[in-house]
Amino acid sequence: MRLEAQHLNFAYLPGQTVLHDVSLTVEPGETLFILGRNGSGKSTLVSCLAGLIHPDSGGVTLDGEDIQSLSAAERARKVGLIPQTHTPAFGYTVREMVLMGRAPHLGWLGAPSREDHAIVDDALAQVGIFELADRPYTEISGGEGQLVLIARGLAQQCQVLLMDEPTAHLDLSNRHRVLEIVNQLSERGLSFVICSHSPNNALAYADRVLLLTGGWVTAQGGPENTLTESLLSSVYGIRTEVILDGGRPVAVVTQRPIALLPESLSDPDSLLSEVFGQRGETPQLILVTGLSGVGKTTWCSRLIELARTAGMTVNGVLSPGNFQEERKVGIDVLNLGTGEGRQLARLRIDQAVQVSTPRWEFDPEALDWANAALAEAAVGDLLVIDELGPLEFFQGKGLTAGLARLDAGDYKVACVVIRSALLPNALQRWPHAIVVNGSAKNFKGG
Amino acid sequence: MTSSASLTEPESNLKRILTGFALFALPAGLFIAALLLGRYPITPREVGRTLLSPLFHALAADIPDVARQLILRIRLPRALAALLIGASFGGTGTAFQAIFKNPLVDSNILGVTSGAGFGAALALLLFRSGWEVQAFAFGFGLLAVALAFFGSRLYKSTPLLMLTLMGILIGSLFGSLTALLKYLADPLDTLPAITFWLLGSLTSVTWADLGALAVISVFGLVFLFLVRWRMNVLSLGDAEAKALGVDPARMKLWIIICATLMTSAAVSVSGVIGWVGLVIPHAGRLLVGPDHRRLLPASVGLGAAFLLLIDTLARTVLPGELPLGVLTGLVGVPILILLLRRGRTGW
Repeated sequence: MRLEAQHLNFAYLPGQTVLHDVSLTVEPGETLFILGRNGSGKSTLVSCLAGLIHPDSGGVTLDGEDIQSLSAAERARKVGLIPQTHTPAFGYTVREMVLMGRAPHLGWLGAPSREDHAIVDDALAQVGIFELADRPYTEISGGEGQLVLIARGLAQQCQVLLMDEPTAHLDLSNRHRVLEIVNQLSERGLSFVICSHSPNNALAYADRVLLLTGGWVTAQGGPENTLTESLLSSVYGIRTEVILDGGRPVAVVTQRPIALLPESLSDPDSLLSEVFGQRGETPQLILVTGLSGVGKTTWCSRLIELARTAGMTVNGVLSPGNFQEERKVGIDVLNLGTGEGRQLARLRIDQAVQVSTPRWEFDPEALDWANAALAEAAVGDLLVIDELGPLEFFQGKGLTAGLARLDAGDYKVACVVIRSALLPNALQRWPHAIVVNGSAKNFKGG
Repeated sequence: MTSSASLTEPESNLKRILTGFALFALPAGLFIAALLLGRYPITPREVGRTLLSPLFHALAADIPDVARQLILRIRLPRALAALLIGASFGGTGTAFQAIFKNPLVDSNILGVTSGAGFGAALALLLFRSGWEVQAFAFGFGLLAVALAFFGSRLYKSTPLLMLTLMGILIGSLFGSLTALLKYLADPLDTLPAITFWLLGSLTSVTWADLGALAVISVFGLVFLFLVRWRMNVLSLGDAEAKALGVDPARMKLWIIICATLMTSAAVSVSGVIGWVGLVIPHAGRLLVGPDHRRLLPASVGLGAAFLLLIDTLARTVLPGELPLGVLTGLVGVPILILLLRRGRTGW
């Protein structure tokens, strides 16, 4: 059976659209993995495909038939939903759980017959859990629980099974067991749509992959074309590396921020030297990250100092803190091109400050001045922007000129300070960036 | 019960049959006992003959008239009422625990008993006694549930939680109103009547009370019996039930309507009897497991037997009558503690 979704749009509340123009096709026997961050709309998409919620526009069809035209029972005979492992209020036995898959085949006053029990036994045997039949579902392991729900899908005798994060809480061997069974069932013609948090499982088991970002389809296609470093970095907002084996992708690993000392600029074999060596060919972006107060600005100042020593031109803005009795009371802004400085913000100290008002009071004139400095700075060797925060990313305020230059690629090497929480947003915007641990003090490893 | 189960577990099938027989024999045996026991002792022979006397008039010839009247006019309707009401509480409690996915609720969760209590108190205040008490109890029980149900519809999110919350709110509203009526009632006359009604009793049950109760209980029990397997599916939650092709909203509405009619009818005859609908399903689960195909009949049998036992005790252990609402807890708690000790853990 061919499952198709065309131009799905869905919002739980008006104005808060969760799915934007999502289209997909699952052919008989095909396994589609849906990957995306938490809250990207995966579960909502699956609920739409299962017919549990109706899209605001667009539609889902089974062999060309609109699922909204089917009754709940008719739909459930074709499409099954396997929820995340859960604990029902009552300890039904495994057989009783699987038997519930017969509900759509019986009238609303109907009770299961001998034939239904035979179908259930068959489903249990197919999944290889017949020996669990009389155990309480609430007392078996998570992996076995998933297998019970798959067996229920088989007893339902539908042709498409939707799985919402089936392996999220499973150990390695149970994950393997569940996905191998999925694979064998798909070889018999059953289609699967699987929401997952594991690109590695998708690499191993998916026929097709759909990447979802904020409800939009980022990419869709075979695993080799979708599970690439740049697409995964932009979907998840972290640096990833795809491990190849004989040219075939076999695993995806995530990369931590690199522990990199500004001083390594003098070492010709270092990553930093390599980055500066490639300047002028393609724009090189370094994101300096870390929690507030770890020394991101200090890291930048050292790099600026060393770059100048090496004879490079440095532009952009640096915003060092202004301290009184070890307490940050103000933020200055420094135009690195001209060496001029202004006070950018001061801590609100008036007693009427409410919890919800921002702690920092910005000087709009100083901000305009800094933006002008960023916009007018010549394309030197190194462009520094310290820093881009939530204002820039979410409100279109602050150092917007800096954001525009980065988006335009109007630089050779850029060093941008960014707090950890915003890193995913930055990497979704600039997936090619190198992420550096901005803590100058405690480096782990090399 | 199933062909495959008989292959894997032959011995458990025998156990199932025995349990099933016991759950039928228990209320039946208690029913006979209830007719024999009392302050006026009647022999089994007299009971048997009296029960058959409508068919064979000659059989009752040598039975004292007072014994015959006692059996046919008082003990028989009273025992039947106890069976019907107990069965209703057992059945509706089981159904509500399933649709609320919660083993700690019974059919009172939507405020039916509080509404009925208020209705009865109001009628006792206005009319002293009479058919109005029953009618008001029944009507206000339905009204309370309707208020809770439609009140919960005002909110779109998490319908189950809203329904529970509304039920509790409406329940306490009627509880407060009842307290107000008690405060206003004449302390020498009406107040004891209200208090006694709220404690529950089958003392004054007559054949006339039994008609409506029997019709509603029997129809309700048949309906619950027919949909009992679907209760398994409903207890998994709305989304999963929907994915399994069951319309949870419609199914639940029918069960709520049915259970509310049954509970209202029961309470309007017996007064407030708590505890039975909450605890009998637990005893049932300990005996037959959580599958509603077997749990529902088990709870119905246990509920009937339990209330009949309680009512028989209520009228025999002390010279005066004990209120049922008092005895259900006093007798039921030790029984359940015993069951929990011996049975499996969990529901």
